[in-house]
Amino acid sequence: MTELLVDDTATQALSTAPQPAGAASRNRVRTLWRSLTSMRTALLLLSLLALAAVPGTLLPQRSLNPVKVDDFFTAHPSLAPVMDRLSLFDMFAAPWFAAIYLLLFASLIGCLVPRIRLHARALRRKPPQAPKRLERLAVNDRWEADGDAETVIRSARETLRQQRWRTELRAEPDGSWSVGAEKGYLRETGNLVFHVSLVVLLVGIALGGLFGYKGTVLVTDGSGFSDVPSSYDIFSPPRLGSESALPPFSFTLRKFTASYQPTGVPKSFHAYVDYQPTPNAATRPYDVTTNHPLSISGADVFLVGHGYAVHIQVRDKTGRLVYDRPTPFLPDDAMFTSHGVVKVPTGLAHQLGFTGFFYPTYEATPFGAQSSYPGPASPVLSLAAWQGDLGLGSGRPQSVYTLPVASLTNVGTKMLSPGQTWRLADGTTVTFAGLDQWATFQIAHDPGSTVVLVAAIFIVCGLLSSLWVRRRRMWVRATPTTGGPLGGGDGVARTVVSAGGLARTDADGFATEFESLLRRMRG
Amino acid sequence: MPGVNVSLAHASDVLFMWTVLVYAVAMFGYSAEFAFSRIGRSRAEKPVPDERRVTPEQIGRVAVGLTVVGWLLHVGSVVTRGAAVNRVPWGNMYEFSTMVALVAVTVFLVLLTRQPVRFLGAFVMTPVVLYLGLAGTVLYAPAAPLQPILNSYWIKIHVVAAITASGGFMVSGVITMLYLTRTWLDRRASVGPGTAAAVEYGGLSRWLPSAERLDRLAYKVIGFAFPVWTFAIIAGAIWAKYAWSRYWGWDPKETWSFITWVAYAAYLHARATAGWRGRRAAVLSLIGFSCLMVDYYVVNTVISGLHSYAGVGG
Ligand code: HEM
Repeated sequence: MTELLVDDTATQALSTAPQPAGAASRNRVRTLWRSLTSMRTALLLLSLLALAAVPGTLLPQRSLNPVKVDDFFTAHPSLAPVMDRLSLFDMFAAPWFAAIYLLLFASLIGCLVPRIRLHARALRRKPPQAPKRLERLAVNDRWEADGDAETVIRSARETLRQQRWRTELRAEPDGSWSVGAEKGYLRETGNLVFHVSLVVLLVGIALGGLFGYKGTVLVTDGSGFSDVPSSYDIFSPPRLGSESALPPFSFTLRKFTASYQPTGVPKSFHAYVDYQPTPNAATRPYDVTTNHPLSISGADVFLVGHGYAVHIQVRDKTGRLVYDRPTPFLPDDAMFTSHGVVKVPTGLAHQLGFTGFFYPTYEATPFGAQSSYPGPASPVLSLAAWQGDLGLGSGRPQSVYTLPVASLTNVGTKMLSPGQTWRLADGTTVTFAGLDQWATFQIAHDPGSTVVLVAAIFIVCGLLSSLWVRRRRMWVRATPTTGGPLGGGDGVARTVVSAGGLARTDADGFATEFESLLRRMRG
Repeated sequence: MPGVNVSLAHASDVLFMWTVLVYAVAMFGYSAEFAFSRIGRSRAEKPVPDERRVTPEQIGRVAVGLTVVGWLLHVGSVVTRGAAVNRVPWGNMYEFSTMVALVAVTVFLVLLTRQPVRFLGAFVMTPVVLYLGLAGTVLYAPAAPLQPILNSYWIKIHVVAAITASGGFMVSGVITMLYLTRTWLDRRASVGPGTAAAVEYGGLSRWLPSAERLDRLAYKVIGFAFPVWTFAIIAGAIWAKYAWSRYWGWDPKETWSFITWVAYAAYLHARATAGWRGRRAAVLSLIGFSCLMVDYYVVNTVISGLHSYAGVGG
């Protein structure tokens, strides 16, 4: 086992072996800190983090799909609130999840500080002295060379230096010379870079969580958006810092287009926008598509969804236009069968509302109407008209996508194609004037993402050198010979050279490297 | 289907079938070499040389040759698939699985050029053939263009890294199982030295390389696959940043990749500390491999998330 040959204090400090009792128990805090920063604790915390993440992939999560969480509440009315109290639907924001990674964070810092210090010392230390008997080492060799010991050892050292070994030349008391050499410090350096980068990565994530914001907004063809909290449909403000710091950009959706395969599988999406980084800046065009966000003043605008908006015109019985605008309908399936609500609260004798379904490619099937293709090949709007109090004055917040139909009177249903008009019994006319599309954009600002990216790059580099660099040592000793069968007599100085080496990590391939080094030394 | 070159797609499917066939024959070849050479060795100290008889050694060499032929066919199948749909050939689970198998075979062949690991042949080719069989039947999806969300050059980087790492993890998983088998046999053999059972277990045990060697080999392959997996996760996060506006969202796929990563990190730590070598570390690495399988198969088919583009079951 190569581990047995590792003699650094570094590994002793990190040893998971029990600490000697008496010394540690003197100070409880210290004991606690020491056990928190041991590798075994780190492993345990790491495994706990992974284990804690598992239920988050099995239970519905608010951050991923709030609708599924609501469904779960409906299905398990007594169990769900209990689970909710344990944060099981917000697993990754749960206090105990945070507790695990904060402990891991502390543990990591606690073990890194002494290791960095030790490694800094190791980097300054000279390669160790040659052991007395090099032939005891795992790989070793011995030969005779011409020349005096000092010349031989200097040339051996030069060979090692050329191969970027760190060397130390020593004259020994008995007149021989030795060189100690070491290589592969990058392993521990890489390891430390990796672990430090993990800490930095966590800092970057925290920065994003504390100072970042994000929001979603639905924009219909031809309308605009400006970056203030009130323009968002959903907005999560920064947890620290102020909302007024949002960059003052704005944009208009000129046109959204989608194309599809004949099977209905989407092929491409484009949201053509005109944007202004600041209110007085020149307007610039941009094509926001999937995988291609628009970056303005530190915020990124992503295209995350799309759908149809049906343009409806309502006229009273005298022909006066009382309602004229596109209303976004929400898609229910991949073929964009969509539903929506149109409310006409003013301008007519009674308040009027519509619930409707929209089919971009209408198809009647035995199971009812449906859309058979997501593109608007043969659009049909199916409307039900309702009269009565729409409840808008009640003060209760109301979704723009629902109508309190239970308290309203149905006054007819109708299927309309674009351009068609429907006359209600009281003379009101409803025209399906045309079709627009809408797009939803997510606007996000994450001040930590650059830190995270840089840390991630260092993580990979650190990991590579930590796993692939091998730490190894070798020694060469040159001893002048006195006489013998080859030396002396002819006046030429001769030297016995012995060399030995050991791989401190993975021994594979070291013997080959050793041999090739010796071949160079022998010339 | 438009956007698909039907004849190329067909060629890809035919090449795929031939790949599985050739691999299967290679698999039998490796198994035969493995079995006959060990039996020969245990029957007699020196097998009588017979000029006309085929030696197990020769069968093994033929199996390697067949593996190379299969590998070429395999590459052909993947390339024609990509050309048929004019995109990278890893957009659904069928394509993904055949790529993972291709990497596993590549890792094995590369190992073979550096170390005498032909004994691994049977153990690598068997799962590869089964895996390809699964890919070609249950997971099969006809050639079709990609969904827009997958249409980014990050798919090349992220998915290539994920496939490479998975192929590596698969090979190391096989080696780890051999390691566990070997240590189990050794323990059985050491129970009562000299007993019939001990002789039998000891004989079986010698069929495999030493536990030490298997352990080191498994570690080497994970040492290669782990950084690649780390890179795959990071590339995925960068891609997610462009596609979904956040680099990390605890989507089930992301979460299981993270869990897999942690399991292998635990394995590396366990190996780095003296007390946790060997069997316990091996168990950790198999846990890691199970997490990887959950990540690919359970998450893609059972748990839905943003990554649900597997192309399986509609
Ligand atoms: C307090 C927390 C941690 C401590 C004390 C710690 C300690 C160590 C030590 C001492 C090594 C060197 C082993 C060697 O090369 O001999 C190491 C390696 C490593 N650590 Fe950590 N670590 C911690 C957290 C983590 C975390 C969170 C990860 C990420 C998953 C991680 C991943 C790794 C990897 C991949 C290696 C390389 C293994 C190798 O060189 O064979 N570590 N760690």
